Amino acid sequence: MLRITGGKVYDPANKIDGQIKDLHIDSDGRLCEPTSEGRSIDATGMIVMPGGVDVHTHVAGGAINFARAMTPEDHRRTQAFIRTKTRRSGLGGMAPTTFATGYLYAGMGWTTVNEAAVPVLSARHTHEELADIPIVDKSTLTLMANNEIMLDQMEAGEYERARDVVAWYIWAAKSYGVKAVNPGGVAAWKWGGDARQLSSPIEGYDKITPGTIVTQLARICDDLGLPHPMHLHCNDLGAPGNIKTTLDTLKHLEGSRAHIAHSQYHAYGGDGWESICSATAQLAEYFNTHPNITTDAGAVLFGDTVTITADGPWQHLLYKLTGRKWGNLDVENETGCGIVPYTYRPSNLVNAVQWACGLELLLLIQNPWQVFLSTDHPNGGCFWRYPEIIKLLMSRDFREECIKKLPSNIKNKIVLPEIDREYTLSDVATSMSAGPARALGLKQKGNLGVGCDADIVIYEQEDDPGEMFAHPRYVIKGGEVIIEDGEIREAPDGREYIARPFYDPATNDFMRPLFEDCYTMAFDNYPVEMERVHGASIHECKPGDAS
Amino acid sequence: MGGKVTCTLGEVKQRADFIIYWGGNPAECHPRHFTKYTLMQKSKFLPKGRKDRTMVLVDIRETKSVKASDIFLQVRPGKDFELITILRALVKEQHVTDAQIAETGITREVLDDLVARMKAAKFGCMFFGMGLSMTRGKHMNSAALLTLAAEMNAFTKFVAMPMRGHGNVTGADVIMRWQTGFPFGISFNRGYPRYNPGEFSTVDVLVRGDCDAAFIIGADPGGTMPQPAIDHLKRIPTIVLDPHITHTSKLARVHITTAAQGIAAPGTAYRMDEIPMPLKPALKSPYPSDEEVVRRINEAIAKKPFWIPEGSMPQMLTEQV
Amino acid sequence: MSATAAKTETPLQVIDNATCTFCGCVCDDIQLHHDEMRIHKAKKACVLGTAWFLNHTAEKKYPAALIDGKEATVDEAIEETARLLHEADMPLIYGMSNTTCEAQKECAAMADSLGGLLDSHTSL
Repeated sequence: MLRITGGKVYDPANKIDGQIKDLHIDSDGRLCEPTSEGRSIDATGMIVMPGGVDVHTHVAGGAINFARAMTPEDHRRTQAFIRTKTRRSGLGGMAPTTFATGYLYAGMGWTTVNEAAVPVLSARHTHEELADIPIVDKSTLTLMANNEIMLDQMEAGEYERARDVVAWYIWAAKSYGVKAVNPGGVAAWKWGGDARQLSSPIEGYDKITPGTIVTQLARICDDLGLPHPMHLHCNDLGAPGNIKTTLDTLKHLEGSRAHIAHSQYHAYGGDGWESICSATAQLAEYFNTHPNITTDAGAVLFGDTVTITADGPWQHLLYKLTGRKWGNLDVENETGCGIVPYTYRPSNLVNAVQWACGLELLLLIQNPWQVFLSTDHPNGGCFWRYPEIIKLLMSRDFREECIKKLPSNIKNKIVLPEIDREYTLSDVATSMSAGPARALGLKQKGNLGVGCDADIVIYEQEDDPGEMFAHPRYVIKGGEVIIEDGEIREAPDGREYIARPFYDPATNDFMRPLFEDCYTMAFDNYPVEMERVHGASIHECKPGDAS
Repeated sequence: MGGKVTCTLGEVKQRADFIIYWGGNPAECHPRHFTKYTLMQKSKFLPKGRKDRTMVLVDIRETKSVKASDIFLQVRPGKDFELITILRALVKEQHVTDAQIAETGITREVLDDLVARMKAAKFGCMFFGMGLSMTRGKHMNSAALLTLAAEMNAFTKFVAMPMRGHGNVTGADVIMRWQTGFPFGISFNRGYPRYNPGEFSTVDVLVRGDCDAAFIIGADPGGTMPQPAIDHLKRIPTIVLDPHITHTSKLARVHITTAAQGIAAPGTAYRMDEIPMPLKPALKSPYPSDEEVVRRINEAIAKKPFWIPEGSMPQMLTEQV
Repeated sequence: MSATAAKTETPLQVIDNATCTFCGCVCDDIQLHHDEMRIHKAKKACVLGTAWFLNHTAEKKYPAALIDGKEATVDEAIEETARLLHEADMPLIYGMSNTTCEAQKECAAMADSLGGLLDSHTSL
């Protein structure tokens, strides 16, 4: 039981834009009708928002854990959370430990995170790690677009089979939805290849192309009634001139819902590293005319990080470009994974373009319900640096100051200097919370209406939005005060959201022989047991429920 | 150097037409590796199974694994690093002298042939064992081989994987990494994890006499470690959890018998390619599981005063010193 | 249940797709035939795995616990362990090869709460 009184509330889901409003929280940790019981927090003069929701991040599982192994030098210098009697120690940095991940997210007011790339084969591992990320609620997406059993069904023209296979995998992984990474390209990478043309058959297949995979998988997600649409990492990530591929991909999605991940990495013009330039205006225009599609920025911040993605061929290229460490992990039948430490430098023209592109998309896509704050953590920068992005979005002056530090020949390559828009607090609340929550289909998140989860962040109003968003005065998760005056007070376990889509019960028998051909694990041991998902909250999907 | 280019075992089963085992004897140490994961399996890409694959064994002596190989390279003991380095050069068509090659105990013809085969492979995989990683050069050898695998990707698909032994040692690695950031050799004595093999690794700690109590679980250092390390375990209070009375139990202050994992205790174990496998115990042990005993010890410790006095440390250091 | 109370005449129970943790292959396709007291057959297991499964039994071969070489209860041993570890300035937690991930997590928690050292077989 808790009351928050007198604060200026920004609750875009309920069209509340800075009005003074009291919030009341019941003993189940949900917002409720006015009550006089329990502790009261006087938020007079403060800003109240729904807790942040990260639609696209990499915080748990084989890939980030591989990245941890590859970056001990960063662990040695970064933030260290000291052990207390009740709270585990942890390290922050480029690839934070699980406990630190929870503290750092909660510490800046984020209360829900979506781990965006999980191979089913190692989903058990991901769930175990998620259980060790305290405070925040979690969901996971299953990597599907290069799953050869599914691709074989598409190749054979068996759409229903492919749909059942996808549903079977989602439930086997106990995940929340579908992630598609470089459709066809990661499968080709298993032989050292890639797939960069939407209309060319992918390696090892005669008919299916990245384009057909995208179209069919998006339709499958809709037909299964998954709460979150297909979450797509397009082909040709990071390459100069890839705007053509991205726009071509989007055309393959007409009529479906979709979420385009880290679109910054897919919005480049030019035809080489010398001529690379921003093509965000074209991409933003597409979003502005297609409300069925959402995206997250995948914004870049200058500094050290480690890139991790299921896009194996791209990481091989990045290794060749940088000569730095390279990790690669191909997962049988399902997907790949690549890791390369990276430093974004303002003096590097390509990096400068990337930095501008992320901000441009956040500013040029007019509807904040369509574009969400993300760095594709840790790829564009660490999640705990989000307040820096908010500051860049809210202050044109600050942006100008930063642009001055870029190489002078950046001028004609970016449009950021010409953008006047500054985010309002309501824009921020939408982009960091209400929008991603809605895109994820998490109706109880990012919303301060009665009955919703009392995940709330309260800021002292400050002139510097970077400081304000980095140091909330209070963070409340499920009605519990987690952060108060910059101190972690509690670190309770979070929930995990999973989806149960329907599939033909015969899918099991259909899958078994195909599975035994290519996997090395016993079929019966493969699906993650329900009891391994800690704090599970199951969404029962209804076919055709997607909206 | 650095990093690791690898895959799960099913990728090898499905695709690897060229397999090198380096410094290992799978026929005797991982007996089903050939049959279940690598050599003998047929797949849609390798329909003839063993006939579609080439296997090269590199070791300092003839083991039972030689029989399973197509090519055996007997490297001179302690010359693995040199041999790998020469291969890295030959792959890139860099000059290597006859004297340098002679030192490894292998001829230039054999190495030229090997390099040609590696480049001609569609999917190559190198497995390396303790014969590489625990002999002269140690982790430098592993790093060199991993680099060779990474560099081979300029020509064709190539991966490498350590042949981890010792039951669930991989699980320990994986868990320590997500909980502390580091895979082993960790100290919490400043209230947060730090890593320094050589300083915080067990043999070094014991030989120097740096620890004043030892909790040993799922290992028997009393039977395997150098005598000065064992002597220190005798001097300090040592506690052992094990399904058997071990060498270490006999020198310990406390021994607690526990149920064997996977036989009488449920849970999870990680395969060498870091895939978690569920355990299905058959027997009902009269002894508690390790998990239960360690949890209860932790509960008992939690009832005692915490070692960092309240308020003496900040919640977080923004930078470590 | 005491060791002698186990029934030896009942037909063997079968567990499919059991997992062998003897080596890093961690094969999970083993068929175990057992009578709750011992495993009589481990189909598909290799020679090492078979020995691993057949050599362990549910008999009470050893005392539950020993303190200074004398038999003790598990409760006593747990208390004594907690006391010794808590008293130490620099306790070492070592091993974790032949145990489950679930126990390994508890070991990492132990080292964290004691401010001690945590290390596995890998460091050898």
